[in-house]
Amino acid sequence: MAFLDINSVTKTFGPVQVLEDVNLSIERGEFVVFVGPSGCGKSTLLRMISGLEEVTAGTIAIEGEVLNDVEPAQRGAAMVFQSYALYPHMTTAQNMSFGLRMARKAKSFIRARIDEAAGILRLEALLDRRPGQLSGGQKQRVAIGRAIVREPRVFLFDEPLSNLDAELRVRMRAELMDLHRRLGTTMIYVTHDQVEAMTLADKMVVMHAGKVQQAGRPLTLYDDPDNRFVAGFVGSPTMNFIPAKVAGADASTVRLSAIGGTAEGALAFAGFDSAVATVEIGVRPEHMRVLADGESTDAPVVLDADVVLVEELGDVTYVHLHLPDGTRLIARAERGLDSHEGRMRVVPDMKRALLFGPDGARLRPAAWTAAA
Amino acid sequence: MSVAEIAPALPRRRKVRVWTVLRWMLAFFIALIAILPVWWMVNVVFSNPGEPVSINPRLYPTSFQDGIDKIYMIFTETDYLHAYLISLLYALFTIAGVLLFGSMAAFEFALFDFPARRILFAIIMLSLMVPAAVTIIPTYLLTAQLGWLNTMQGLVVPGLASAFGFFLLVQFMRSIPRDMIEAARLDGASHFQIYWHVVLPLSRNALITLAILTFMQTWGNYMWPLIVAPSPHMYTVGQVVGLFNSPYSHQTVDVVMTANLLAAVPPLIFFLIFQRRIVEGIAMSGTKG
Ligand SMILES: Nc1ncnc2c1ncn2[C@@H]1O[C@H](COP(=O)(O)OP(=O)(O)OP(=O)(O)O)[C@@H](O)[C@H]1O
Ligand SMILES: [Mg+2]
Repeated sequence: MAFLDINSVTKTFGPVQVLEDVNLSIERGEFVVFVGPSGCGKSTLLRMISGLEEVTAGTIAIEGEVLNDVEPAQRGAAMVFQSYALYPHMTTAQNMSFGLRMARKAKSFIRARIDEAAGILRLEALLDRRPGQLSGGQKQRVAIGRAIVREPRVFLFDEPLSNLDAELRVRMRAELMDLHRRLGTTMIYVTHDQVEAMTLADKMVVMHAGKVQQAGRPLTLYDDPDNRFVAGFVGSPTMNFIPAKVAGADASTVRLSAIGGTAEGALAFAGFDSAVATVEIGVRPEHMRVLADGESTDAPVVLDADVVLVEELGDVTYVHLHLPDGTRLIARAERGLDSHEGRMRVVPDMKRALLFGPDGARLRPAAWTAAA
Repeated sequence: MSVAEIAPALPRRRKVRVWTVLRWMLAFFIALIAILPVWWMVNVVFSNPGEPVSINPRLYPTSFQDGIDKIYMIFTETDYLHAYLISLLYALFTIAGVLLFGSMAAFEFALFDFPARRILFAIIMLSLMVPAAVTIIPTYLLTAQLGWLNTMQGLVVPGLASAFGFFLLVQFMRSIPRDMIEAARLDGASHFQIYWHVVLPLSRNALITLAILTFMQTWGNYMWPLIVAPSPHMYTVGQVVGLFNSPYSHQTVDVVMTANLLAAVPPLIFFLIFQRRIVEGIAMSGTKG
């Protein structure tokens, strides 16, 4: 039993099913990030943990106690909203103490909690200001302070940084990590920014279309995605997917044809299911090598492609390419690439390549499955 | 205003000026028409009796002392002060009730969902369309059956459920972010605490506006007090002024005018204090309601 258990949770709004059979276990002190495209149900899941939204079916439990019918305020969860949701008619101190005042706690007790939280968040000078007199970053800190004074069992953040500019966002991210380290409290954080997710998460939960696609350490998801969606969602620029036909397979290799239209090649793969007729090869941009003009290679797969665009970003260069069948590719290249236009040969690193079946599921070699 | 709208106006600047002058003149005349009766009242009251209406009338007051004497006479020889009290209580109780019931109902309708919410809302809105003349007799009969004729509760209670006030507050409270209510819920605030500590303070402006509009309406309400509280001990200012103005009144014009002026003074003071809020309030109830 983990600290927080989400068990076969389903959510429907009227006829619309928003979450389907979500299972998740979260350990005490973990920083968990829910990430996924807009509308995939991240906020809904978070709100169900907070108690603001009811669970249609399944259970949510913290420390073994099922919370489905527990009042939001009694769950020991504190939420930080994207809009901050500060009370505009109250000062910072009043905002932070609102919950404690509603619970009729002693004045001295409230004072002590506020001072402590203000110290952690460097809000001492702002305690008598109203939200209208605070900057976005300060409001965000007050909103976090309001959560801290309640000393919750779990912090819930719903896209708390998305109203801040890029620079401040990076700074607040670091502050959040620091806060997590200091408090050691379990935090669940929702974002649709996968970079943010990768930076913050101990455990990253990728969601799509109301389902948890995969949960795990960010780098595990990056290196070993369970399906095409996760592979494409994690990492930037996104992974390349090259369609191919299966020409044949034996115990240890699979031969592919019509890779991106014309190329052919083989790939080491133990126990390929011969029923699969077409696959997609997933290769990250950094695992594509651009060949210099006239360079010879013994690589198993060489792709001929049209150059569409060359992005020179200083530290890296991304080459956007078109394969004969129209598939778009991005390859990372060295600076000072000579042929900026016309055709180019690229070599995908087949040792790092992942295979995906027609349904988007990852095809894993027999030996790999045991290892993973 | 877009650039396209402004741009062609520039070469025709003279025309715009003519318009401006015309608008100012129009505004001036309207203001004059509005102010003149009030000024005439002041003029008649603070003059020697008969002077303003003599063959050679004056448009300005001539005797301050005369006015004071008339006011003193009215306060001492009639029940005017008592009527002031009744009117004031009538207005204050109505304001308190309208704000309380209106805000509680609006809180539920604007921020929460419950069965038949839309239908109930529609029914309340429908009642806005029904003219007072239709409801006044049933309301009177009901009040009479409760034994509330010639009582303060008879005056006040039927006016407590204000569909207009309710609507105004619902419109305002709808703009309160849902997150704020949810944050309060997570903070452990009870339903009533959310209403009292979060929603009411946030609705302050709307409540003040509604209070002002309700004051002006109750102070000026003539028909309902006349019907439900006809006994002299419950006379409101409106009714007393009505007596002065009645055909069988034995008062001279200047005394009648004094009574009228005294009735107009509280709303005037009120207006001068809350001028900006009243304008905002009327704009708000106009655009949103
Ligand atoms: N109260 C509601 N009634 C009906 N449908 C809802 C309600 N709340 C959310 N939904 C639907 O549920 C789905 C998931 O919504 P949710 O807010 O959880 O998405 P999200 O992953 O947080 O997206 P975003 O990144 O845009 O915030 C959406 O399709 C949304 O339209
Ligand atoms: Mg969301």
